[in-house]
Amino acid sequence: MTEPILEMRGISKRFGTTQALADVSLALYPGEIHALLGENGAGKSTLIKVMTGIHRPDQGEVWLNGRSITINNPLEAQRHGIAAIHQEPMIFPDLNVAENIFIGHGNRGSIVRWRQMYREAADILARLDVKLDVRSSARGLTLAAQQVVEIAKALSLDVRVLIMDEPTASLSAHEVDQLFKLAKTLKANGVSILFISHRMEEVFSIADRVTVLRDGRFVSTHPASEVTPESAIRDMVGRHMDDFFAKTDKEPGDLLLSVRGLSKDNVFHDINFDVRAGEVVGFAGLVGSRRTDVALALFGIETADAGSVTLNGQPVTIRTPQQAVKLGLAYVTEDRRQLGLTMPMSITTNITLPTLHQYANRFGLVQQRAERQTAETFQQRLSIRTPDVDRPAGTLSGGNQQKVVLSKWLNTQPRLLILDEPTRGIDVGAKAEVHQIIDELAQQGMGIIMISSDLPEVLAMSDRIVVMREGRQMATLNRSEATQERVMAAAMGQTK
Amino acid sequence: MNSIRRTIRPEQIREFILVLLIFAAILFFGSQIENYYQPRTFTRIASSVAILVVVAVGQTLVVLMRNIDLSVGSIVGFTAYFVGRAIVNNPELSPLSIVLLAMLMGGILGLVNGIIIAYGRVPAIITTLGTLAIYRSLLVQFSDAQTIITSALPEWLVNLPQVNAFAIGEWELKLIVLIALVIVVIFQLVVTYLPWGRRLYAIGSNPDAAAMSGLPVTRMTVSAYTLCGALSGLAGFLFLARFGNITVVAAQGMELQVVAAVVVGGINIFGGTGSMFGALLGTVLIATLEQSLLRWRIVSEFWRDALLGLLILLAVATDSVILSRLRAFWARGGVEQVQIEN
Repeated sequence: MTEPILEMRGISKRFGTTQALADVSLALYPGEIHALLGENGAGKSTLIKVMTGIHRPDQGEVWLNGRSITINNPLEAQRHGIAAIHQEPMIFPDLNVAENIFIGHGNRGSIVRWRQMYREAADILARLDVKLDVRSSARGLTLAAQQVVEIAKALSLDVRVLIMDEPTASLSAHEVDQLFKLAKTLKANGVSILFISHRMEEVFSIADRVTVLRDGRFVSTHPASEVTPESAIRDMVGRHMDDFFAKTDKEPGDLLLSVRGLSKDNVFHDINFDVRAGEVVGFAGLVGSRRTDVALALFGIETADAGSVTLNGQPVTIRTPQQAVKLGLAYVTEDRRQLGLTMPMSITTNITLPTLHQYANRFGLVQQRAERQTAETFQQRLSIRTPDVDRPAGTLSGGNQQKVVLSKWLNTQPRLLILDEPTRGIDVGAKAEVHQIIDELAQQGMGIIMISSDLPEVLAMSDRIVVMREGRQMATLNRSEATQERVMAAAMGQTK
Repeated sequence: MNSIRRTIRPEQIREFILVLLIFAAILFFGSQIENYYQPRTFTRIASSVAILVVVAVGQTLVVLMRNIDLSVGSIVGFTAYFVGRAIVNNPELSPLSIVLLAMLMGGILGLVNGIIIAYGRVPAIITTLGTLAIYRSLLVQFSDAQTIITSALPEWLVNLPQVNAFAIGEWELKLIVLIALVIVVIFQLVVTYLPWGRRLYAIGSNPDAAAMSGLPVTRMTVSAYTLCGALSGLAGFLFLARFGNITVVAAQGMELQVVAAVVVGGINIFGGTGSMFGALLGTVLIATLEQSLLRWRIVSEFWRDALLGLLILLAVATDSVILSRLRAFWARGGVEQVQIEN
């Protein structure tokens, strides 16, 4: 093989307490399609962001054509010939196709020569064997067409390394075929493509080499011919389970929730599962598996088109979150910072927010002493580490913030608790504590739905695991039959 | 159908409707007001348009990139007053240096807006709401509440509004109207043919993508506000020439008319779409209503602002409802957009 175009050498990157990348190396050769695999949180996105200058690495070097370079921002990356196409293309809806291709160019003279621009844009699209009207406005373009525009933009910048971050996630099968044709055209022109996808069959149909990351570390790079879906999945999972707190086994109680055939057009399809009192039902899957959408539909934020939900033996149609809370549901969001907490407000006011009417006296004024008592009770019960409950929630660590969000929803006394990524971004100690809290709640008879991308966590905490992939329920595994490999195989569509 | 979709854009339909509205307004007021159809009526409307549209062109530059400038009324008043003061004190100054002085003064005020917004990261609406008050207060403070009076101004300036560029019978085109139209054309060319102008659309269309593509968003913001200020300064000069008597409340509330003209003219308040011709049509409609309502006895002139407010709301509401449907209809025309051969 020739010399690599782009080489990442020993890249490390840390965000707060999370080591996103640790000593990762990767080489891209001209004219190869290189697949990058890994679970959620394996470090793929961070690595791309280092390549495109959105993040600066803490350690390690980026080499381009045998020279060490620093990339400070996406513009510099472009100048070095490195461009990325994201799952959601970055287009200008009010400009036409040709302008979208050339708007980033700073060197096209002092006057816009429209005819010339249309001609050059048409030439680039012709090189890609694409028929697309260069004068049409970008607003009406399908996602696939927008990606074509992005690829054309990259080509117009004389790109040598093209990063495609899950480009196929929202494309139809036909559009995926066309995208792959484009990728092969680029490859034939000597462009090096880094391809990220959660779809195994795509990876094996197009990639020359496959690199696997796990927990921010490099695991392996192999020629695609030497990799099987099984061996790739083994490399992706393979995490230790020892340090995990496991849910106590307990005979489940009455049937709380029963979901049958729940569907929403183009989002999720035919979801079936039960939750009994004292049970934890885990939802596993990769990005884009639409687990959160199912949870939002249960909680009345999104509406399902078809299917039935039975709560305590009564069929229900939940249309608003208010109604869901009245029926004894609670949903702890995965987006703690944006949707879970009001950061500048005190711990107390955050906890009592959904139940504030219960703290009003007969004049309608909030009794702060009662509020405070509640907050202090939860502080003890969940061991929230703070000097006092009047501190702003934003001053707490991630783990303690998560406990505040939990307190807030536990205070509504739900019978069914939906947890969305309950331990994302919190440290190991706090994680164990959250697991212990979940276990206690289940022991007390609460039914729990836990969406988690952390495989060992799902395996250790769930009585049953629903595995989803792109809106479909791929498998429902009992605790005894679930292994990391089986769950991951289902999540990637490798059903056996 | 597709050929129609290719040659006409939804925005053009909107501009066509605007032209119809202007004619409808003229016919309506013609039936209501005696002696409405006289050259004098239209000359008056045109003079009003001349001042407003220069500010509207500046405002359009700013709105195209998803910003707004509420301080334009104060800038017009500020420059009208202090340029007037400069002429009174130095009558020997040439017309050209007076115009440049007005644009420089306005440009500096606009530059301040731009720097606060681009580097201080204060939202545009807050920044310019602040400077709207500040510039006006500076005017009140430094004028010692004195008034510029017509009799103190040199003759060429006082007569300027009456100068004809050309005249056909009783129908005449005033020089200041011609100047305003030239500015509209120049800036229409700027936003069509200069990379600077196209970047305005790009930034307003998708600010995140603009930053990711390496467009100089900060510098663009500063330069757009500076230009908007300079054009408001020029309008301040025209204002001085037209009215002669300038008090500290000169051009107060003009921002409402200008923002109305711009959004009625089809410049999307969220940036990315619109043209200078649209801004001109919007201004013509606003000025027609304004001048006609002055003479329409049935309605008190105090309702004029309410009518402007109503027009703004209607324009933005139709934009978000009708125009987005038109666009969706247009977009459907291109379902088979991508075909990859072989």
